[in-house]
Formats: sequence, C-alpha cells, structure tokens
Amino acid sequence: MSVLSSELKSSTRPVEAAAIHARGVTKRFGEFVAIDKLDLDVRRGECVGLLGPNGAGKSTFIGCLYGVVERSGGELNVFGYDPALEPRRIKERLGVVPQENALDEELTVLENMRLYARFEGLSKTAALPRIEELLTHMSLDHKRDAAIRSLSGGMKRRLAFVRALLSDPELLILDEPTTGLDPTVRHLLWEKVLSYRQAGKTTLVTTHYMHEAELLCDRIVILNRGIVVGTGAPRELIAREAPGYVGIFSPDREQILRAHMQPHWDLFHQGRQCCIRAPRIEDLMSLQQASGIQALQIRPCNLEDVYLKLTGRELDDNE
Amino acid sequence: MSEIHVSLRLAWHVVVRNWIVYRKDFLANISPTLADPALMMTALGMGLSPFIGQIDGHSYAQYLAPGMVATTALFTAFFECSYGFYVRMTFESVFKAMLTTPIGVREVVIGEFLWVFIRAALMAAGVGLALAVMGLLPNIWSIFMFPFIGGLLAVPCGAIGLLAAAHVRNINQFQTVYSFLIAPIYFLSGVFFPLTDRPILGVLVHFSPFYHGVRLLQMAAWGRGSLGETVLHLTALFLFTVVLGIWALRKIRQKLTI
Repeated sequence: MSVLSSELKSSTRPVEAAAIHARGVTKRFGEFVAIDKLDLDVRRGECVGLLGPNGAGKSTFIGCLYGVVERSGGELNVFGYDPALEPRRIKERLGVVPQENALDEELTVLENMRLYARFEGLSKTAALPRIEELLTHMSLDHKRDAAIRSLSGGMKRRLAFVRALLSDPELLILDEPTTGLDPTVRHLLWEKVLSYRQAGKTTLVTTHYMHEAELLCDRIVILNRGIVVGTGAPRELIAREAPGYVGIFSPDREQILRAHMQPHWDLFHQGRQCCIRAPRIEDLMSLQQASGIQALQIRPCNLEDVYLKLTGRELDDNE
Repeated sequence: MSEIHVSLRLAWHVVVRNWIVYRKDFLANISPTLADPALMMTALGMGLSPFIGQIDGHSYAQYLAPGMVATTALFTAFFECSYGFYVRMTFESVFKAMLTTPIGVREVVIGEFLWVFIRAALMAAGVGLALAVMGLLPNIWSIFMFPFIGGLLAVPCGAIGLLAAAHVRNINQFQTVYSFLIAPIYFLSGVFFPLTDRPILGVLVHFSPFYHGVRLLQMAAWGRGSLGETVLHLTALFLFTVVLGIWALRKIRQKLTI
C-alpha cells in the first residue's frame, strides 16, 4: 500500500470519531451465535463496563475490536477505523489487559517491558524512562530484574497493566482485570484506572464484580447470550430495573411471606434464601410486622440485583 | 513509511523476541542441532567409511558431509516452528498479548521465517566450519555458501513445522509428524546414499524442499554441479517457500484469530 493511499484513508477519517461505534455486530461460530446484532457506542473519555455471565460474548466482542475475532456481520469502527480492514491503526491506539497475563515467563520484568515497548514502536531512549515510571507507579520498581515466574499473581497482573499502558494508549481495554486478586491489589488497580480516566482516556472493562463496575464505570452494558439486555449509568440502571430495597428471609417462610406481600413486589431466590424486593424500605418494615417474620437482612438494591434480574437467575445449561 | 517496510520492521521484533528467549537457555537450545550431526559424522562417516569405499570419487565421510549441513537446517527449522511455535502459542500464550500490539498474524509468521532463516544460517556456518576442519569439504569455499543455502532450505521446512503446529490437537501428535514425514524425508533424500539408481525414489524426493537443499549443498561441497541444476533447485526451493509459506500463514491465521 502506498504512502499516498494510506494518507488519503486517514484524511477521510472523522476527526472526532467515537472511540467505539458498533451497529448490529454479530459473531457466529457455526450455528452458535456468540454476539447477536450488538449496538454499542463508547464516546471518547467514557468508561464503559461490559457485564454478563461467562459465555455472554464479552471477550468475543473485545476480540472483534482489534481484529483477532473476525465478526460475521455488522458495522464496527474503533476511532473511525474498521478492525477487519485496518487493525494496526487501531492497535497503535490501544492498550489491552487480556484475561490471561500472557507474559514471557522466562524473561525478567525489565526484559519483558522493553520487548513490548519495542513492539509498540517506542524508541530505546523513550522506552526506559516510561517503563521505570510505570513500574514505580505500580510499585514494581524493586522487581525490575526479577524473572516473571518468580512474581506473585498480583504482581503479574500489575505488570500486565504496565504493559498495556506503555504506549500511553487512547483506549484501554481491561478483560476481567481484577479476577482472583486480593483486595489491596484490587484497590491499587482501581485507583490507576480512575486516574487514567481522569486524564480523559477511554476505558472498556469487563468484570464479574458489580462493585467494581459501579465504582469505575460511567455506563454499564449488560450482555446475556450475545444480546444487550440493559444499558445505562449504574445508578440509573438500578433506579430503572430494580428500584427499592431487598429483604432477605429464610426460605421456609416463603408461603407466609407470599400471602402478605403486594402483588407488584418481586419475590426471588438468591442461593437458598428468599428475597423480596419492595419499592420503599417502609414496605418491608410493614411486611415484617404483618407476617411476624423478621428479615435476616434489609438492604438497598444494587447492581447485582439488576444483573441477576436481567441475565435471568438460572444458570445456563452450558455452565 | 511503506506498508512492506512497516510490516518487516514489526516482523523483526518477533525475531528479537525469539532471540532474547533463546539466548536464556543457549546451551540447551544449541546442543541437539550441533550434537546430532557430529554424532552422525562420527558413527556413519568415520565408522562406515572404511567399509564402503568411494562414492563418485569421494570417501563416505565426504559424501555424508554436506547432508549434515542440510540436516541441521531441517531440524532447526522444523522443531522451532512445530514444537517451539506450538508451545509459544498454546502454553505460553505469547500471541494473545503480542497481537494486541501493532504486530499482526502476518508479522508473526514472517518473523518466524526470518528467525529460522537466521538460526539455520548460523548453524549451517557452524557445522560447515567443523566439516572444513575435519577436512571433509573438497571445495573449501563452500563454507561461504552454506549459511545462505541452509537459510533458504530452513524457511520451507519451517513452514512445514508451522503447518504441523496448526494441525495437531496436542503436543504428542508432533511425534507422528516426525515419524511419518520428517524422518522419511531426512533418511531418504540422498543424504545417506545416492539416488542415481533409484528411479521411483529419485522422482519422489523432488516433492519435498529438503532434497533440493541437499543437492545444492552437495554441489557446493563437492565443487561440482551445473548451472542448470543449480537454477532448478533454487527455483524449486523458492516455489516451496512461497506455496508452503502462504499455506502456513493461512492456517496460523485460523489458529490465532477466530
């Protein structure tokens, strides 16, 4: 491809293209539909959380964004570029923390990062200070000469963050960034993501931790079996999909509780417990009085309630 | 910068990555590709030479010598691109992270080919030097041709390795590929005995890149060969490189993307 044609292409790119623009994106594996006509827009500077059960299509969608998954249909642009046609232009602007760390186990921390700085096109002189800065930032500077295999799980995860941030990407993609980490590391990583967000960068994060999604994200998109089943700001989603309070009762009292609750309230099970959702906390108080059954706990509704409601409370057959 | 230039620069990063990992375990990595031809030369070359007499005016050790250069190129390339690549792809997940950088599948595959070219060229130089010291090269100048021919031979053999890596369902299946494809190619392509009086085998061997490399190395080492035959084998190696290379790229793309 000549220099001229690639310049022409970039000049036709809308200057303020959305970070991610997806319309009807579909991915099929034979008969199985992993993503079904997904629409999603992520504005620049926004932090969007992708939630959904395992197998809902989150990682598949992420793969579509930088071309390792070929979509079967639909329109997809990242910074105005189609990942099926010009993945490199997207990847130059992208930092990814994949589900697996995929660090070179044989190499040291510094060797690993220098290698990836090279992949990202950083010059040797630019790479070293950048690496040192990020290692210090992630409290890994004392480990710079340690072999990867000697690092703890939390350290490896932090190093995967360093790697993703080397090229100062415009878009950061985090695929289950804190799964399996202790709370200290989790808080450290959240803080880094928040400061990255404050710098006006765009973030797409998948997670199974509702608290994490609520804390980090401007907007949540809930996927189930490849379909968007809910979207909105965390507070907004809760107010719309599961407003009110939940009373948790012991399961053997379900019949009595049913008799005393209002028909528009919601009764469901979480684990072995019987949960009743009512619009106001007073409703649950009067339910307790009327039925003579004390709730084990009463709490405001949270994102987890929304998630469980929208993705169905049953496990899929394939789980 | 042109597309080809960018692509080659990115492919070069893959070579650098492999080199950095390779040198960590340098001795273990270099041993089999040097020890095997050395053992073969000792056992067959020196051991059998007195019993065999001359082949085309050369001692058996001299007959065997260029084949050892070809062997080191074949094994370097095949094992690096089969086991080596499979381990990188499956157990080390190297490409899961690498493909999030500007490096694409095409650069990964071109990088692997560049890597085996360089490695095989260096190994061919090393083996060639050892053969020269042992006085087994009638045409001593051939040691300057070995790296180039060895590198050229390594690329299509590497492509066969990548194809194997794309097809096996677990790492044990490489053993089958070795036993039924690589070993026959190795033993029957004129390294150990001349194919001049074997009409069927003599034709069959043309369908593997290895034979063409063996012939080029033999012509160089013995200092005899025609321009016509040289052009024929170079062209064949080139065609094998293109066809197997593109095929391997397609298969590896299917493995690394979904």
